[in-house]
Amino acid sequence: MVITLAATTGLTACGFGGSSGEATGDGTTLDLLVPSYSDATQGLWDDVIAGFEEENPDIDVNLQVESWDNLESVIATKIQGGDAPDIYNGGPFAGFAEDELLYPVEDVTSDETYADFQPTFLENAQVGGTTYGLPFIASARALFVNDALLEEAGADVPATWDELLDSAKKVSELGGGVAGYGMPLGSEEAQAEAAVWLWGGGGSFGDSEAITIDTPENLPGAEFVKTMIDEGATQADPGATDRSPLFDIFVQGKVGMQVGLPPSVGQIESDNPELEYSIHPIPTEDGSPFTLGVADHLMAFQNDGDKQEAITAFFDYFYTADVYVPWVQAEGFLPTTLSGSEQLAGEEALAPFLEVLPDAQFYPTTNPDWSATDSAFKALFGQLDGKKSAQDVLTEVQEQVDAG
Amino acid sequence: MKDLMKALPWIGPAVALIATVVLFPVGLMFWNSTRDISQSGVDGGGVGLANFATVIGFQYFWPILGRTVVWVVVVVACTLIGSLALAALLNKAFPGRRLVRMAVIVPWASSVVMTTLVVHYGLEPYFGIINSFLVDVGLISTPEGYGWTRHPGTAFAWAMAVAVFVSLPFTTYTVLAGLQTVPGETVEAARIDGASGFRTYFSVVLPQLRGAISVAVLINIINVFNSLPILRVMTGSIPGYDADTVMTMIFKYMQNQRQIDLASALSVIAFLVVIAIVAVYVRVVRPLEEV
Repeated sequence: MVITLAATTGLTACGFGGSSGEATGDGTTLDLLVPSYSDATQGLWDDVIAGFEEENPDIDVNLQVESWDNLESVIATKIQGGDAPDIYNGGPFAGFAEDELLYPVEDVTSDETYADFQPTFLENAQVGGTTYGLPFIASARALFVNDALLEEAGADVPATWDELLDSAKKVSELGGGVAGYGMPLGSEEAQAEAAVWLWGGGGSFGDSEAITIDTPENLPGAEFVKTMIDEGATQADPGATDRSPLFDIFVQGKVGMQVGLPPSVGQIESDNPELEYSIHPIPTEDGSPFTLGVADHLMAFQNDGDKQEAITAFFDYFYTADVYVPWVQAEGFLPTTLSGSEQLAGEEALAPFLEVLPDAQFYPTTNPDWSATDSAFKALFGQLDGKKSAQDVLTEVQEQVDAG
Repeated sequence: MKDLMKALPWIGPAVALIATVVLFPVGLMFWNSTRDISQSGVDGGGVGLANFATVIGFQYFWPILGRTVVWVVVVVACTLIGSLALAALLNKAFPGRRLVRMAVIVPWASSVVMTTLVVHYGLEPYFGIINSFLVDVGLISTPEGYGWTRHPGTAFAWAMAVAVFVSLPFTTYTVLAGLQTVPGETVEAARIDGASGFRTYFSVVLPQLRGAISVAVLINIINVFNSLPILRVMTGSIPGYDADTVMTMIFKYMQNQRQIDLASALSVIAFLVVIAIVAVYVRVVRPLEEV
């Protein structure tokens, strides 16, 4: 997916797209359930809602912010209690689409808004040919390298696994609690680190039809994770190390290399601007470029089916570049709309990520079993740091997916 | 029947309360455990006892159940021994006794999650204060410390220590209340007969504490069995199922795998196990009988 824009869509700042803005029923209330991306999330949404309510005085928006840890159980509880939100921001949505709970995106956006999404992201948000999720924000991964540590250890920036192992071991040998490669296989985001390794070795998680974890293609990646751990190239206990606390250690300058995201740049900027670091593509088995792309989605629940126009008004307002781009920028992610990408084309901090984005591969989020896959990785993949063989761990993940 | 009709206006409110806050949720739990509920919470019809078969057929089910028993027995036993010692101490008159009694309440008054988090962060490598201390005094050789909470065995042991710490106050005060009811004459009589302090405590005081201890143990068994937050914080980041108890497993089914039906089935099993434990305890120990 290349972020160069041939077409200028020229959206005006008028938030009422195609719907006749006045026909929204009197005193409609929209319930919005969103996760917290950072400490700023709540304030950003509050600003969006304030602007929207000003333009649509007859629509009230209730905001509920939850942590990512609780989000999925909150939404499940709400649905079970017949109290689903009208608009929900989350990851996997195929299960909801399967249960026929969601509006197709085309029914709740104006034609202009719908046409403004990057096509690859739209494809990634389809279940059975219908788009159910509005691509919300995107991110890509890259290797953050602590240049000072690598120089001290006399190691080079790696492009292949073997080079990574070699460089990481050299950095680990510096001692003093320094780790060569920060490997977070803990429950927080084990599926991401799993993707970095399994896909980097030519494997995949499957597609919208079938989830395939226990395959020969995935084995080299899992085996190499064990090699990295066994040879002391990682920090201690990678199997139970979560990503956020580990990246804090990277920011403190105690980790040689770790995979990070666009917001990580801002984190280093604010917590330790002195850190000498650079951003590179993620090393793979044969050195071919690849990155893990992640897109979160907004979705609209049908509930009683009487708020379609209000929801449409909200989405059309939110996705106007003047509202949407500041939101994405503040959180440090990448936009999913053509107009948004155009506005951010000159951003220096995002450049390394925009560069690798064409080679992005995505999770099979449209597979109804993706949630089960996600939780199986979180619960089981860390066992690579232990006595279990790589093959056994993959088999166990696959079994839990198939059971879920 | 006629008597019952007469009594109904008087006991009605209590019956209604019990029905709504106790019986209804229990009934709902049993109901959910026999349904097929999708990940997003839609009820897909009844499946009989299939959920129970899935839960019991899970390869880690029996180790988890065994670990739950170890968890309950060790925590309750350590709590009881610690409380007896503490209560005996607090029962003596000494300067500042009131302050010490107040201090014992603190772990009870503070949030369990907070207490556990403090210990959990203290055990973190790189910046945990407990880890730093152990490194500084030379008990740990690696400069970043040891990942206590990242290995099933050590994480579980630390979780037990925290569980004992937060269970002590209640048990201590229950025993202390029991000690207040021991008549001074009995202790005095033992002393005059020449019994040692040790002998006096075990032969005279302890038997009279039976009632207090029985109640404390019973409530502790139920509490400790159902305790989630300590284990969740201490062992939450460990992959696999080698540090789970029944409670954390229910939580994993519900929150990680979003299998509300399986979580309900396991809850029912846990509910029955607790009832069985309590029934056996009441049969064997007979806590309500007089000495």
